[in-house]
Amino acid sequence: MNNGTELWLFAVSLGASALGGMLGMASGIFIVPVLTLWGHVDIRSAIGASIVSVIACSCGSAAPFLKSRLTNVRLAILLETATTAGALSGVLLAGTIPASYLFFIFGMILLISAQQMLAKRRDPALASIQSLTRRSTTWQLDSSYPDRALGRDVAYRVQRLPMGMGLMYVAGLISALLGIGSGVLKVPAMDTALRLPIKVSSATSNFMISVTAAASAGAYFVRGDIVAPVAGPVALGSVVGAILGARLLMSISNERVRLLFVVVLVALAVQMFVAAFGKDLFRGIA
Amino acid sequence: MKPIRIESLLAGGLNVGTWLASSVIAAGLVLSLFYQQTPFPSGAQVVTTGIGLFVLLPIVRVILMLIFFAKERDYKFTAAAAVVLLTIFASFAIGILAK
Repeated sequence: MNNGTELWLFAVSLGASALGGMLGMASGIFIVPVLTLWGHVDIRSAIGASIVSVIACSCGSAAPFLKSRLTNVRLAILLETATTAGALSGVLLAGTIPASYLFFIFGMILLISAQQMLAKRRDPALASIQSLTRRSTTWQLDSSYPDRALGRDVAYRVQRLPMGMGLMYVAGLISALLGIGSGVLKVPAMDTALRLPIKVSSATSNFMISVTAAASAGAYFVRGDIVAPVAGPVALGSVVGAILGARLLMSISNERVRLLFVVVLVALAVQMFVAAFGKDLFRGIA
Repeated sequence: MKPIRIESLLAGGLNVGTWLASSVIAAGLVLSLFYQQTPFPSGAQVVTTGIGLFVLLPIVRVILMLIFFAKERDYKFTAAAAVVLLTIFASFAIGILAK
């Protein structure tokens, strides 16, 4: 491993994490393909590095979100019971499902999410403001956040919690199976099921990702799948990128975040389908 | 007087943890860049330690939340934090056993 490679890994991780942090998702889904396709890093090392980068991203970008009250920590810990339970199931299932099936499933989930995001162009939380007088849950999860673009506090209710918990379980399961942060699944789940403002979804998802990832990262670490010369520069680049991304999220409008999210979802879906069918294609040629 | 907000507690904890882990990784990388004949501890070992710190950080975060909710006598959320912690440990154990 020479100095140039370390710098390259650092730069690539920085870019991926800046984009990821801006969308409230970790860079795992970018890091694994970039490392394996362009960096010729072996897939297990790439996944190991990606998991560390996912944790680094989430932890490094959490503080500004927390301080600006975008993150709903009570909702996060409640939903984490579902994401970690999903991750536990994923660890148990790992190895029984062929990788090409997983890529295909992931591609489908991404497309469905993109479609949902496009269909609801209005911020879901704004529609529920009128009904704020009624408390729906015994968990006291309803809250408010200061919106810079609107220049006032926006109150929101947490709706359809059981459905949200169910979707979070699936997000945790997929996260453990594919070795990614699954923020890309958590944000649409919060958007469509819980009907949170998109910035609250992004911040809370970002906060939850590290805990979901920690459930599988420990196993990788113990098994020795985390290779220091790869994971080190990647983790460091991720922290810097995630902080930059978080700054950007708070200064741009909800509509732009949503549009950017849809574009990235579709691009990733295409990439996943290529991975799902490409494998069989190459096998046919070989 | 306002009681300490959980948001500031967690923001502080995660910031310190991120800086600590990142500094250890950076120190390890610098070591491995400038010493081909690596002294003890080697750069790679230092980097691995930093990575280990990153893996532990989310677990420490859940423990902080557990303590905070317990002090607030907010038992529903204390229980939620405990469930998350136990699930992570269970997952670790399965990973180690499957080695």
